[in-house]
Amino acid sequence: MTKYSLLSRLLILFAKCKVFGYNICDMDRLEKIRNFCIIAHIDHGKSTLADRLIESTGTLEKRDMQSQLLDSMELEREKGITIKLTPTRMVYHSQGEEYILNLIDTPGHVDFTYEVSRSLAACEGAILIVDASQGVEAQTLANAYLAIDNNLEILPVINKIDLPSARPEEVKKEIEDVVGIPAMHAPCISAKDGTNIDAVLEMIVKEFPCPKGDENGKLKCLIFDSYYDNFKGAICLIRVFDGQVRVGDKIKMMQTGRVFDVTEVGVFVPYSKPVDVLMAGDVGYLAGSIKTISDVAVGDTITKADDPTQVPLPGYKKVQPVVYCGIFPVDGAKYNELKDALEKLKLNDASLQYQPEVSEALGFGFRCGFLGLLHLEIITERIEREFNLDIITTAPGVYYKVHKTNGEILEVSNPSNLPSPVEIDFIEEPVVKASIFTPPEYVGAIMELCQDKRGIYKDLVYLDKSRVRVDYTLPLGEIIYDFFDSLKSRTKGYASFDYEIAGFEKSDLVRVDILLNGEKCDALSLIVHKDKAYARGRAIAEKLKKIIPRQLFEVPIQAAIGNKIIARETISAMRKDVLAKCYGGDITRKRKLLEKQKEGKKKMRQIGSVEIPSEAFMSILKLNDDE
Amino acid sequence: MNKTFSIYVHIPFCQSKCIYCDFASFVVPEDKVKKYFDALCQEIERCEFSGKAKTVYFGGGTPSCVDAENIERVLLKLKEKFDFDEACEISIECNPASADKSKLERYRKMGINRISFGVQSLNDNQLAFLGRRHKSVDALESIALAKEVGFENISADLLLGLPKSSASEICEFCGRLIESGVTHISAYMLQVEEGTPLAKMVGQGKAILPSDDMTADIYEKVTNKLDENNFERYEISNFAKKGFECKHNLAYWQGKDYLGFGLGAVGCENGVRKMNGKTFDDYYDGKAYQEKLTLQEQIEEIIMLGLRTKYGFEIEKLKALGYNISKNDNYKKFLSQGIIKEKDGFVAINKNYFGVSNEIIVKLFP
Repeated sequence: MTKYSLLSRLLILFAKCKVFGYNICDMDRLEKIRNFCIIAHIDHGKSTLADRLIESTGTLEKRDMQSQLLDSMELEREKGITIKLTPTRMVYHSQGEEYILNLIDTPGHVDFTYEVSRSLAACEGAILIVDASQGVEAQTLANAYLAIDNNLEILPVINKIDLPSARPEEVKKEIEDVVGIPAMHAPCISAKDGTNIDAVLEMIVKEFPCPKGDENGKLKCLIFDSYYDNFKGAICLIRVFDGQVRVGDKIKMMQTGRVFDVTEVGVFVPYSKPVDVLMAGDVGYLAGSIKTISDVAVGDTITKADDPTQVPLPGYKKVQPVVYCGIFPVDGAKYNELKDALEKLKLNDASLQYQPEVSEALGFGFRCGFLGLLHLEIITERIEREFNLDIITTAPGVYYKVHKTNGEILEVSNPSNLPSPVEIDFIEEPVVKASIFTPPEYVGAIMELCQDKRGIYKDLVYLDKSRVRVDYTLPLGEIIYDFFDSLKSRTKGYASFDYEIAGFEKSDLVRVDILLNGEKCDALSLIVHKDKAYARGRAIAEKLKKIIPRQLFEVPIQAAIGNKIIARETISAMRKDVLAKCYGGDITRKRKLLEKQKEGKKKMRQIGSVEIPSEAFMSILKLNDDE
Repeated sequence: MNKTFSIYVHIPFCQSKCIYCDFASFVVPEDKVKKYFDALCQEIERCEFSGKAKTVYFGGGTPSCVDAENIERVLLKLKEKFDFDEACEISIECNPASADKSKLERYRKMGINRISFGVQSLNDNQLAFLGRRHKSVDALESIALAKEVGFENISADLLLGLPKSSASEICEFCGRLIESGVTHISAYMLQVEEGTPLAKMVGQGKAILPSDDMTADIYEKVTNKLDENNFERYEISNFAKKGFECKHNLAYWQGKDYLGFGLGAVGCENGVRKMNGKTFDDYYDGKAYQEKLTLQEQIEEIIMLGLRTKYGFEIEKLKALGYNISKNDNYKKFLSQGIIKEKDGFVAINKNYFGVSNEIIVKLFP
């Protein structure tokens, strides 16, 4: 009897484990989980390897792969950034054991460095893919360092060995020399052809550590990503570190303090599949009728409301916009549509910030804050494409702390809000600590660039004979101009660059105004360092002369600091815009030509009596100093 | 009530195709000519429109490259079919290379009273470049012949803005044409039409056209030169001695009804535009395309066509279609800036702004 009941209890326990999706004993459970990500330089084969892993583990049938891929591609196109898959849970059998492999994807751009770091924090291991012919490149290094910072086990994989130019042995040595991690045993694969994928899977199981955690401890989940679902509300993508979370639990977001009832937990296989519980070591999602994505802060810790942990997971940062610009509808009547668009985008993107703004030149619009220039580009593009709105974007800028003579401190992100010079005691601008990794031959070019961007030299460290780290303090406002492009072109793409905000520093800044036909156009004003004001003013006037089409009358373009004109260009009057012939046979065609011309005018903004193309406002940013 | 209208007849034949031409025209295939004129006469026969013809225009192509009897046959057919106004203007386009004296006499006899020569240039190098078959001397001779056989209303076409042309050279051409006795000059700024050999040459850098500013200069100087000689600019590209304006073309610009006969010909009555098939097969099959103009399109056409001429468009005509242009901000601005003028219910572009009329027209569209 006793014996029977013990056996039955064991059986029940075993059955329960199965129900929970774990075919293994609780004690061994963690040992059978691997949480990892794939990191790589762009185009080295990250997505292809991910696809092969999903396929090889039978997570998706090959025939389903196509649609899955297409869906992701659509998302990618929509976002205009590197594909970001939902984390995928795969089941893999090795030597009679069943393993759960959670692949967590990471966005690949410096704007989203913080998000990347949180995704990495959800993993124990990282596969570092290196292209067998290209070898170590800038992002290989930057990503590898990010992974090292997060204490991940890094396993290199040499991809694209099917290429005739593949040189796997040399690339392995390069990885050891440059990145500084052992690589001699790295699997050589072709993700495209599916060669040697099993070696990668075996490596994941054998080399990556299993997660640690106490499933009976107090709940601690890391939110490493989020998205908005029209039916379920904001969805948190989580890694459970300690404890368990299930439907019905009352949970608390430790940073925002908000409390929610869990309505669903689940995993991605790769489509979302509800489960009963997520336990320490697991990766999955959690829904709780969370109405706005702002309540879901990436990096925040989720715990139980009635039995909370006292210690949140480390590494949380409040994400602050670093780049600001004005966004206005080309057609003033579409202000409300623009507002709706921003509201909807904000649902899915907590880092987007906006508030109403009025410009003399552009009318009603919004001042928006972004994580960086790419983020800005993505959002503006989505407004135009998904909401079918024509918008004008003003030149991006940073925000300044303006100390007035009366002791007041203003935070100014819109140049036209800068008080008059007599009221200003001094201005502080945001600066960043920048680290640039580069092969030594580019050090000179990089130092020249940083100097030109008002950088202050901090340090230069030889990491090994082929890699140097150069540290500078740089004004953020200089970085958001063409720093990336310049760095890339001066180092042939070999330098990788990372920065963190390092507070504010006093700086000698002035506002440069632009006058068109004698009228100031507030939306074209910008704040620049005094030493650069003349050159910048001249460059903008020249650029506008190229961009603004000739009008029926002559249009002077002036750049001014206060009342002082520092540059002048003139757009001469238009002389020829006429259809030489129009007789009975081609009236329709000629009418259509004119209708098209009229349509083009809709993209123009009337400033006083001058018509300006919408892109003029953004173009003044793309002033190439070398031009 | 007998309403008045205009007739356009398209002769789609040429002896060769010029490099800038995008009209429906085909290098003349002898056997096709008869078949074409048969079809043309049948088309006229089928027409159910009734009214009084104020103008007839034989255009092309090169109407003068076919035997004059073909033209006569069409003209007789038209007269049989429609009432002709006593003062009906009957024009024909002529290539100086294909207009001999007997042909011109025959035209005159059949009742054609206006002749338009495709002179284009009086510089033989330029004519060769354009692919024209005549030389400058032919052009002047043809004009003299036309006068000799009794034509009083003679027009010449000139192209402005050809490669390596200068304002002074073209003004000199104008002088010679005036001397020769023409009463009307059409001076067109060369337009590069897509798909033409000229477009290809420009694209490949084999033909370098003067800049817009240079062309505008030439246009201005030509306008002045002609004005000094009492050739008034009554339309963007058309200049005439008093009383010699082309009534047929004015009918287009004033939005009058017109019928189009022949391959690719376009007609427009009561806001419905009809275009015949543009290939021989389509034309013979009776293929035609119709376009009913929307209110907006009708308004746009009144503005864009009216503003081509010194007479302008009638404000009331727009009002009747529901567009009160005097409430348009651009309209008010243009009036105050002297870019357009309003007189006796008509609105016209001031003469200095003809060269930029597109810019003005599109801003006056509703």
